[in-house]
Amino acid sequence: MTTTEEPVTGSSLIPTLPGSAYVDPAVFDAECERIFEDMWFCAARESDLPKPGSFRTVQVGRESILISRSRRGEVRAFYNVCRHRGARICTEDAGERARSFQCPYHAWTYDFDGKLIAAPNLTKMPDIDRVEYGLRRVHVRTWLGYVWVSLADAPPSFEATVQQEVVDRLGTLDNIAGYDVANLSVGRRIVYDVAANWKLIVENFMECYHCATIHPELTEVLPEFADGLAAQYFVNHGAEFGEDVSGFTIDGSEGFGVIPGLEEDRDRKYYAITVKPQVFVNLVPDHVIFHRMYPMAADRTVVECDWLYLPDVVESGRDVTASVELFHRVNQQDFEACERTQPAMSSKLYAAGGVLVPSEHHISEFHEWVTHKLTPTGG
Amino acid sequence: MQHVCALADVPVGEGLRIDSVSPPIAVFRTEDDEVLAIDDTCTHQDASLADGWLEDCWVECPLHASRFDLRTGAVDAPPAKLPVRAHAVEVRDGEVWVALSDAVPHLPPGVTYEAS
Repeated sequence: MTTTEEPVTGSSLIPTLPGSAYVDPAVFDAECERIFEDMWFCAARESDLPKPGSFRTVQVGRESILISRSRRGEVRAFYNVCRHRGARICTEDAGERARSFQCPYHAWTYDFDGKLIAAPNLTKMPDIDRVEYGLRRVHVRTWLGYVWVSLADAPPSFEATVQQEVVDRLGTLDNIAGYDVANLSVGRRIVYDVAANWKLIVENFMECYHCATIHPELTEVLPEFADGLAAQYFVNHGAEFGEDVSGFTIDGSEGFGVIPGLEEDRDRKYYAITVKPQVFVNLVPDHVIFHRMYPMAADRTVVECDWLYLPDVVESGRDVTASVELFHRVNQQDFEACERTQPAMSSKLYAAGGVLVPSEHHISEFHEWVTHKLTPTGG
Repeated sequence: MQHVCALADVPVGEGLRIDSVSPPIAVFRTEDDEVLAIDDTCTHQDASLADGWLEDCWVECPLHASRFDLRTGAVDAPPAKLPVRAHAVEVRDGEVWVALSDAVPHLPPGVTYEAS
């Protein structure tokens, strides 16, 4: 019996990344530096920051970032690092400050624009520039109701990266505008702590070869997923609901009213978009499911998933369980599969990686993208 | 009385530290456009009250949140325990004039100033 380390050229199979790409801390470090700390990173929902002084802390690459709102209501993001001796300013995941951000170590105190406003004996040190020694800001953009940050000195074009991913998938930005994602309300948020490398989660989201096996409920609602073809391969293609399916719910029962302004031909379709490196957007007629990944280590990724509905659905307290349950199960099924895969990434057998079947071949474009990013001359 | 600053130097809702008198004082302009002056240095630790949080006629120390009454200098709660001095203020033709209190100032440990 012979074994083949790599697929024969021209065969049905093409290789994945090697196993080490999913476990090696040095690879993860490089990904943090060249991807998560260099690109636009979707960090928080704007509504997580209802007023000045509301804050969230999130891990972006290897950095803790403090996201807040100024007294004038503008979103701000800072390194969560005191400019004095480096203590973490805020240790909670989320919270609210009434007046200022104060370092709990020596009480260096910053206003919500990051300016150093007070410190013990500060008046005796008039040479300290309060802006220069203010919290160090990072770049912020808001889009689709989310706060996107970039830790790069000169961030890449938001239009040519984040928004281009949506254009590549849907054809135009107008095709997402109808969902009015920025003005939807969070009906449910579930946070998943996944013991798997972030790339396994992206790869899983990009293919549907697994759908008929691990997603029985989803395949009931979207029968074409049973053919295993990539849900995201064709520009502006949406997966049609099954004939007897009324809504994108766990049992195919009726959902809520269609988002006003949505084109008619989208009222029974599901669209999935991958916004590299860490966002998945799922569009259905009456809600939007928005995933943000926070890669924490080579073998750990926190995924925060928001179910977004029209504001009146959330305000009136309507029961969103039937629609949440469908994708919550999909998430659990997917993340369980990723967690089953992660331990094998360090197996001797997987040193050269695995293989992709034709309906997964487009994943190699993602692999090439990652490889290019990690190449010192790569963009 | 002595001239300390122009009214225009103090935005509504904020305070200004005046270093030309010793110990330094803080001139505040409340949301109701009332102008008041107290000692600038918190009696607990060396912090400038002019950088504090002004609300009604109170200022909250930016470091440890003791609040001082701008009219009397009284402190509401620890960690500061002693009042600051309050100074009489007059605004004439857009200029701020102050009659410094002749009480002994309560300065925090380690902080000393020559009386002006």
